[in-house]
Amino acid sequence: MRNDRVLTLAAVVVGTILIVIAIVYWLEPAKSLPGFFPGHQAGSSHHHVKHGIAAFLVGIACFVFAWFRTGPKRASPAA
Amino acid sequence: MIAAALITYPQAIVLGLLQGVSELFPISSLGHSVILPSLLGWNIHQNDPYFLTFLVATHLATAIVLFLFFRRDWVRILRGIGRSLRDRGIDPADADAKLGWLLVVGTIPAGILGLLLQDSLRKLFASPQYAAIFLTLNGVMLYGAELLRRRAPESAEEDDVRIAHTVSWRDATLVGAAQALALIPGFSRSGATMGGGLLVGLSHKDAARFAFLLATPIIGAAAVLKLPELYGSQGNGVRGQALVGALCAALTAWLAVRFLMRFFETQTLVPFAVYCFVAGLACTIYFAAT
Repeated sequence: MRNDRVLTLAAVVVGTILIVIAIVYWLEPAKSLPGFFPGHQAGSSHHHVKHGIAAFLVGIACFVFAWFRTGPKRASPAA
Repeated sequence: MIAAALITYPQAIVLGLLQGVSELFPISSLGHSVILPSLLGWNIHQNDPYFLTFLVATHLATAIVLFLFFRRDWVRILRGIGRSLRDRGIDPADADAKLGWLLVVGTIPAGILGLLLQDSLRKLFASPQYAAIFLTLNGVMLYGAELLRRRAPESAEEDDVRIAHTVSWRDATLVGAAQALALIPGFSRSGATMGGGLLVGLSHKDAARFAFLLATPIIGAAAVLKLPELYGSQGNGVRGQALVGALCAALTAWLAVRFLMRFFETQTLVPFAVYCFVAGLACTIYFAAT
């Protein structure tokens, strides 16, 4: 039970972070991305839309995972 | 430079017909679209922006055909996903929901790898020489999958129920990730997923069905993401050819999926493995000698 809660909490936190990252990718050009972001490139005004889509979809997947984990125990996505 | 000079209408017809077949046959559409223009002496290159725009249209047509062919299945699958979200869990008896989430789980790794690696892999391996070598290796991969495959148990269950019961979440992730091999010209997406399906214990027919269902969202999404290029400046002078190519691709994709769903009821990947190995090897030798 404790593991379930930790997993759910982790999924929600990671999902939220990923969606924030997605928004950053969509709004900021490559030159303005933080240096540790994949795709950061000094002087480039290119927007990494695809990186944002990837981060957004994985973020949504994390939320779906948390949604299933907190559902009724009779059915589990890992079954 | 005028795009119409790069892709003529006869070339668009040939490339469209080829795309529809080779996207669904496990023989690498990307590999063929790199090798064939080179063999025929056409001045078309894989990384040419006009050609990429043309390919967007043919891929979109293929994805639409796949979706229409399996439209009833997609309606059931989407309803299953909806039920599972409503119930906050997957009922073990709900094969449509399980299959739907297997497709989602399989699409995520392929989608991420595709989004992140597509451009760099294309640039790295876009030469016909590389494509011919990888086409040969695709033949080895298909034959290897046949040799190593697990025998599918006899079952009277319906196709999707059988797939949902046989494929685990881990299997779906691995089979889905294998689709990323198709980013390398010469390796086949459907070949990788069908081979993966055989390795996890699906029959040939079920592996083909799972591969086509798995391919639909990824091919469609990749094409839709690039669709603005068709309407932007990169599409100037090539839209007519792209439309003709897309119609040709749609026609052969429909015939190909009909043929393959019947073919795999009784046959194996071996003929495609032999074709890829022989054609790839012959092209490798030809390109090395010229």
